[in-house]
Amino acid sequence: MTDLLEVRDLRISFAPPGAAPIVPVDDVSFGVAAGEMVALVGESGCGKSLTGLAILRLLPRGAQLGPKSAIRFAGVDLATLSETTVRPYRGARIAMVFQDPMSSLNPVMRVGAQIVEAIQAHASVPFSTARARAIALLAEVGIADPADRVDAWPHQLSGGMRQRVMLAIALAGEPDVLIADEPTTALDVTVQAQILELLDTLRRTRQMAVLLITHDLGIVAGRADRVLVMYAGRIVESAPASTLFAAPQHPYTRGLFGSIPRLDGPVERLASIAGVVPPPGQWPSGCRFHPRCPLAVAACVATRPPLVADTAAHATACWVTAGSPT
Amino acid sequence: MSTPLLEVEGLVKHFASGGVLRRAAPAVRAVDGVTFTIAPGETLGLVGESGSGKTTVGRTILRLETPTAGIVRFEGVDLSTLTAPALRAMRRRMQLVAQDPFGSLNPRHTIEASIAEGLLIHQITERVALRERVAALLQEVGLDASYASRYPHEFSGGQRQRIGIARALAVEPRFLVCDEPVSALDVSVQAQVLNLLMDLREQRGLSYLFIAHDLAVVRQVAHRIAVMYLGTIVEIGPARTLIATPRHPYTQALISAIPDPARRRQRIVLTGEPPSPTAPLPGCPFAPRCFHPARDSRCTNERPALRSADGHGVACHYAE
Amino acid sequence: MTGTLRAGLVLGGGLVLLAIVGPWIAPDPLAQPDLITGTLQSPSATHWFGTDQYSRDVFARLAAGARASLGIAVGAVVVATLLGTLVGLIAGGARGAAAEALRRAIDLLLGLPRLVVLLVLLAAVGPLTPLSLALVLGATGWPAIARLVRGETLRLRETGFVGAARALGASPLRILRRDILPGAMAPALVAATLGIADAILLEAGLSFIGLGIQPPAPTWGGMILEARDHIASAPWLLLAPGLALVVATTAATLIGDALRHRLLPGTR
Repeated sequence: MTDLLEVRDLRISFAPPGAAPIVPVDDVSFGVAAGEMVALVGESGCGKSLTGLAILRLLPRGAQLGPKSAIRFAGVDLATLSETTVRPYRGARIAMVFQDPMSSLNPVMRVGAQIVEAIQAHASVPFSTARARAIALLAEVGIADPADRVDAWPHQLSGGMRQRVMLAIALAGEPDVLIADEPTTALDVTVQAQILELLDTLRRTRQMAVLLITHDLGIVAGRADRVLVMYAGRIVESAPASTLFAAPQHPYTRGLFGSIPRLDGPVERLASIAGVVPPPGQWPSGCRFHPRCPLAVAACVATRPPLVADTAAHATACWVTAGSPT
Repeated sequence: MSTPLLEVEGLVKHFASGGVLRRAAPAVRAVDGVTFTIAPGETLGLVGESGSGKTTVGRTILRLETPTAGIVRFEGVDLSTLTAPALRAMRRRMQLVAQDPFGSLNPRHTIEASIAEGLLIHQITERVALRERVAALLQEVGLDASYASRYPHEFSGGQRQRIGIARALAVEPRFLVCDEPVSALDVSVQAQVLNLLMDLREQRGLSYLFIAHDLAVVRQVAHRIAVMYLGTIVEIGPARTLIATPRHPYTQALISAIPDPARRRQRIVLTGEPPSPTAPLPGCPFAPRCFHPARDSRCTNERPALRSADGHGVACHYAE
Repeated sequence: MTGTLRAGLVLGGGLVLLAIVGPWIAPDPLAQPDLITGTLQSPSATHWFGTDQYSRDVFARLAAGARASLGIAVGAVVVATLLGTLVGLIAGGARGAAAEALRRAIDLLLGLPRLVVLLVLLAAVGPLTPLSLALVLGATGWPAIARLVRGETLRLRETGFVGAARALGASPLRILRRDILPGAMAPALVAATLGIADAILLEAGLSFIGLGIQPPAPTWGGMILEARDHIASAPWLLLAPGLALVVATTAATLIGDALRHRLLPGTR
């Protein structure tokens, strides 16, 4: 399977005046194929959201891409494009949905008008056609009575429905890639399950490549094809989802699994990870996890471990556990 | 079973909306008749989604909200009979650990001032010994005593939550209402704080009302679990049996919706979202989303009572 | 210290210094030494800002006027801030009908034009001493502060840390004193500093139309009134108090803005 979207050596740096540059994302490489769902998992501050934004070149002011960074999509390196030449890709080829569906919707515009606006931004179609498409999109994202709801105001919709509307807007440009940044974090558990189910359906029916950015390993299980675990700006482990969940290799990934309370099995003391995630700019040498790692050896302090894949495409950046059975 | 530490009977809290001259909107029925007890040393987990009224239950027990109806007895004393000063004295015995680790500390006060507040209010510690006591509390929650002179903005979410716990423990309570104490924290930090809460419970013989939306988190700490939906308890029982054999359809859906990295469960994906708590339904509050095969007109017309067997109660006409 | 604050402090400090040391370095502001030849003299080494139509030293009158104008303005703002904070705290801290009544009272008073109220009041009771003028200005200036403090109190009352203090068993008074007052005072202080400029201009305006401090006592407004007939022949009579007013209001605004940035980060 060839990757539709390929990120190579992504490096994002900020250089505040009069201070040492901060590198919140450092040498991140991965690919997403059509119809594939790849999950980018990590805790707050690990750089996962910046990675998502970088793909569409939506980085905050002051952020710079590294010279070797490449974002290949459909034969084009988006990293080399200018602000104007990258714009046609946004929404039309690669779309994004964010965590907070309330602040992402315009409160003084009916939801239908916002979808129509998104449709007409990508294709010159008459209003009546666009409106019919909007209703069809609302139906596709699972909104009941789409012909009525198309005239609703955002505040009349529940959180789950607003997130469905955001998905409809993202689909308006018929994108090939969907980047979903914490799309269910603000939602209740039962509604979260609905939205994840919908994402899963959409990527299958539309053969869309989905990059699911989340802090929650749990929602990834059973839905994503591959999982990338990020820690302190780097990918520390990358594996097919089933392999990762069956046998996590990196001590950080294992620590994360140990930290998650389970619904089955005996109730045991949670195997938490000691310490806190250091903020960007205070990242340690060598393996950035080493101060919190129970297995750290001298090499971990001195040298950065490379991300090495075994035969099952299970890659781990660890001097101690890479390739070893759990 | 020994005498309960806390008894909650028929607790109701409605929030009136609208003002003196504004059109009165229907009251929000946040809590609509909730009954449970907590024994000394016991932790009751209270689970529900947003709008279920679980937070209001906690705040009403602590009298941060005045109940519309119902009785809350703590150590056998009906809290509604207490005068304001007596109630303030009672607050030494029952404390709050709040969800938001950012808003729950006064940004203008040092950590020491925040933790010492309760000690000063209840005149627990001599002023000369205050610093030492605060240092001991900081160490008890796993923080460095040298943090005392710093301000809240210098700390991460997990550290702030530890500070909030130290502040609550300062007055040596018997009972803590923990309102979503870990939901704002990163996974690895969440586990640290959960472990801390369990250690403290053991060392100090505390009882908790542990409020959370995450059933797996609640299972980790609770002896018994109550599941709330639209202001009422739909199921209550020992943690182990409630999760292993949930009897209410809503509990079943909630358990199935919880993502579990270890296995792929048969999922029940509920349709729709909880209805507004302003329009009370005559029947079962869950009826509009219920998938139970036996669901019928009785569910929409008659509110099911909480039926108990072996300490496992369920409010469903057709639960086995 | 930011440039804004430094500029404000230099300007304001200069005027305060002038008010304090004036009596020692300048002649008697009321003395009329030479009504025959000493009137309307242009600035010189003996009379830095010249003399007026009664041969009085303009610099001396400016310094004495600074004492009156600044004193009245600061006094008025202190009164307004104390009253406004008290009423605002009660209106924001209380519940029920009393709080609602206070809120409406504040809104009603805010709706009245301050200048008209002052004119009616002063026309009715006649000229005032500087102290009572400060009290009257303060008594008409507090509703703006009260509204600010009330809003801030309402906001702080719902914060998590106030909830935590209640759960700890803190009495309502203790919560007001420790958690709400310090937070609510920040916008009140900013508004008060900015209000000094208003009070200076109001006092000058009232004196200019003859309803403030009565001649021959020197005030900046009164000086401008008296300079009116000599604008062409002795412009320094108008320039000196006019510039003093501009400097004073600018200083108050600069310090107020700097305080706003310091105490209320995130506001414009």
